[in-house]
Amino acid sequence: MRALRKLVLGETWTLPLGVLITLAIALATDAVAGDSAWWHRGGGFLLLALVLVAFAASLAPAWRRR
Amino acid sequence: MERMTAFVLTLLGAALAVGLELLEAMAIVLAVGSTRRPRDAVIGAAGAVALLAVAVVVVGPLVLARLPLEPLQVVIGTALLLFGLEWLRKGVLRLAGARAPSSSLQEYLDEREAMEALPPPEPGRPDWPARIVAGKGVLLEGLEVVLIVAALGAGPEGLAPAVTGAAVAVVLVVALGAALHRPLARLPESHLKYAVGVVLSSFGVFFLGEGLGVDWPGGDAALLYLAATFVAAAQLQVVAVAARHAEAPA
Repeated sequence: MRALRKLVLGETWTLPLGVLITLAIALATDAVAGDSAWWHRGGGFLLLALVLVAFAASLAPAWRRR
Repeated sequence: MERMTAFVLTLLGAALAVGLELLEAMAIVLAVGSTRRPRDAVIGAAGAVALLAVAVVVVGPLVLARLPLEPLQVVIGTALLLFGLEWLRKGVLRLAGARAPSSSLQEYLDEREAMEALPPPEPGRPDWPARIVAGKGVLLEGLEVVLIVAALGAGPEGLAPAVTGAAVAVVLVVALGAALHRPLARLPESHLKYAVGVVLSSFGVFFLGEGLGVDWPGGDAALLYLAATFVAAAQLQVVAVAARHAEAPA
């Protein structure tokens, strides 16, 4: 089970949690602004920014001096 | 041009991801086969391949084929992001020197050492430890292969580039296996895994956006600027982590 969890979620909880939060924000925004032109034109860049924040957060422990 | 970009990136992503996963599976099976009986290693690996065939049927025709396109793209995009960002995170740590480089040769040597510590198999009886270790290695690496190929195959170019990439990888890995040791040691695995992370993450964001009704400027060619953004972000992280790592007391 540990190997399967590692396969699906990876070695850190931060990354799956970040992807989940990104997905939740994206779905909520789509529900609220799904018909808006700005979402169709610029929503992808919002998604990209959220994913990059999740990626940076997953590496935060490595920034701390050991 | 747009379609060619998606085709080539899908083919490359599938070939690299499948090749690297197969290399790791092969390292485990060879380590088991060379320290125990080769027959038991092959039986374990064959059992895992049979289970993977079931997984292919379940993931492909039974699950993916029944989902409508947009929810499917959201599911696939999320799965690719989970895999891709994890590969990229590990790639950053490896390139920054904060984690040991990826090496299937080292994995082979470690697995050999672990198998040598076990009592030898009894003559004429099945060697279950060897079968289980070989089978588990193939099953876990293979499951990732199935999910990545299925996810990339759900893209704009369909299964053709993903399956072609996977087939090229199988041929290359088998050829490497035949000539083992030196090619394994020379392979820049850390860099290749970093590249897979970039490709899978780019496809992940792209599919997620498409599934949510976003129009990417440039169409499929958006994959190029998404990949460039991930490379830039990852390189910044490599520099930051490497600086911290260098500052840390030995």
